[in-house]
Amino acid sequence: MSFGIPILASGSPLDHVVQHPLKSVPGNVHRLLTPKGEITVMSDQIVMMIVAALLLMLLVPVLIKKRKGRDEIGSMVPTGFANFFEAICQYLRKEVAEPALQEHTDRFIKYIWSAFFFVLTINLLGLLPIAPISALFGTHIGGTATGNIFVTSTLAICTMIMMVFNGLRLGGRQYLAHFCPGPIGLAPLLVLVEVIGLGAKIFALAVRLFANMMAGHVLLAVLVGFILAAGSSMGVGGGLAIAVPVIIGAVAITLLEIFVAFLQAFIFTFLTTLFIGMSVVFHHDDHHEEAHAH
Amino acid sequence: MRNALYCVAALATAAPALASGEGGTPSPFAGDIGNALWTLVIFIIVVLVLGKFAWGPILNALKQREDFIHDSLTQAKKDREEAEVKLKEYVDKVEAAHAEATAIVEEGKRDGDALRRKIEETARNEAQTSIERSRREIALATDTAVKELYDLSGKLATDIAARIIKEELDAARHQRLIAESIEDLTKTVKGG
Repeated sequence: MSFGIPILASGSPLDHVVQHPLKSVPGNVHRLLTPKGEITVMSDQIVMMIVAALLLMLLVPVLIKKRKGRDEIGSMVPTGFANFFEAICQYLRKEVAEPALQEHTDRFIKYIWSAFFFVLTINLLGLLPIAPISALFGTHIGGTATGNIFVTSTLAICTMIMMVFNGLRLGGRQYLAHFCPGPIGLAPLLVLVEVIGLGAKIFALAVRLFANMMAGHVLLAVLVGFILAAGSSMGVGGGLAIAVPVIIGAVAITLLEIFVAFLQAFIFTFLTTLFIGMSVVFHHDDHHEEAHAH
Repeated sequence: MRNALYCVAALATAAPALASGEGGTPSPFAGDIGNALWTLVIFIIVVLVLGKFAWGPILNALKQREDFIHDSLTQAKKDREEAEVKLKEYVDKVEAAHAEATAIVEEGKRDGDALRRKIEETARNEAQTSIERSRREIALATDTAVKELYDLSGKLATDIAARIIKEELDAARHQRLIAESIEDLTKTVKGG
C-alpha cells in the first residue's frame, strides 16, 4: 500500500500525464531543448512509442494480408483486419490525400498512412492503464507520447521537412515564388510573413495534437483526483460517495478520449496532407482562379 | 479500508509514485531533445518498414482493385453498347422481315385480284361471245326459216295456181283463192 501515499503528496494532476524519465544523462544543448539540463535516454513515453512502433511493424504487414481467397477475385477481397486497414487507407487516399495532393497522391501516401497509424497507435496506447499496473512492479511505463510537446514537434517538423524538401524538389522556382505572392517591392515583408506562416502552421500542428492529448488525460487525472481529495477530507465514506459519479464521468471521458485519439490522429494527418499539398501542387490554382474569373 | 481506497485510486490515476521525486508542480511541457531524437528515429523506422512491408502491398492491392473495377466497368459498358447495337440490328432485321412478309402478302393479294379480274373478264368476254354467236345462229336460223317459208309459200302458191287452173279460171274466184292462200300463209307463219 505504500505507493498510494506519494500520490497525495504529489498533488498535481499533471504528474500523472507528463513523462517520467527512466534514465537521463546530464546535458545542456539549449534552454529550450534541454530545459532541465538533462537529456532523456529512456522514459515511459519513449517505451510506449517503441511499443507502438513494434506493434505496427509486426502486426500491420501480417494483418493486411488476410484475403477472402486465393483466386483472381478472392485475392482482391480483403477480410477481417485487412478490411479495417484498407478502409482507412482508402479513405485517407481518396478523400483526404487526393483532393490536396492530386497527381502526387501516391508519392506521399505511404508517409501519410504511416503518420496516421503511428499517431493513432500512440494515442490509443496512451489510454491503456499500463502506468498504474507497472507501478505495482516498482517501475513506471505507460503514458501518451503524443502528450509530449517534443514528440509532436518532431512529427510536425517531419511534416515541415516534407513540405519544404518536396516543394523545392517538385516545384523548384514555383515553390519559392509562393513565398512572394505579391509585387517584388514588397518581397522582404511578404517573404517574412510567408516564413512566419510556415512556422505557424507547424507550431499549430504540434500544439494541437499535444494539447488535445494532454488535456484529456489531465481532465481524467483531475476527475479521479476528486476521489482522493474527498477521501482525505471527508473520510472513506465521502471518498466512496464521490467515487460513484466520478467513475461514471471518467468512463464517459475515456470513451470521448477514444474518439479524440482517432480524431486527433486524423486531424494531424489531414493537416499534414493539406500542407504538403500546398507545397507541391501548383498548376491547379491557376485553373481555379480562371474558373472563378469566368 | 482507507488504504484500500488509496490503492484503487492509485491504480486508476496512473500513479507516478516512483517517478515524481522532483517536487513542485511539473511543467506540462516536460521533455527534452532526447524525446525528439527518439521520435525522429522511431518514426523514420516506422515509415520505412511499413512503407516496404505494409503500405506497398496495400497500395498495390488498392490500385489493382481500382484497375480491376475500372476495367470491369469499361468492359461492361462496352459489352452493353455492343449488345445495344446487336439488338438494334436484330430489331431492324425483324422489322425488315416483317415488312417483306407484308409486301409479299400484299403482292399475293394484288396478283390474286388481278387474276380474278382477268378470269372474270375472260368469262364475261366468253359469255358475250357465246351470246353473240347464239344470236347470230338464231338470226341465221330465222333467216333460213323465213327463206324456207317463202319457198314453201311460193310452192304453195304454185300448187294453188295449178289447182285453180285445173279447176276453173274464174277471175273473181282466182282473186279469192289468192287472198285465202295468203291468209292461210299468214296464219301458218303466225301459228308456226
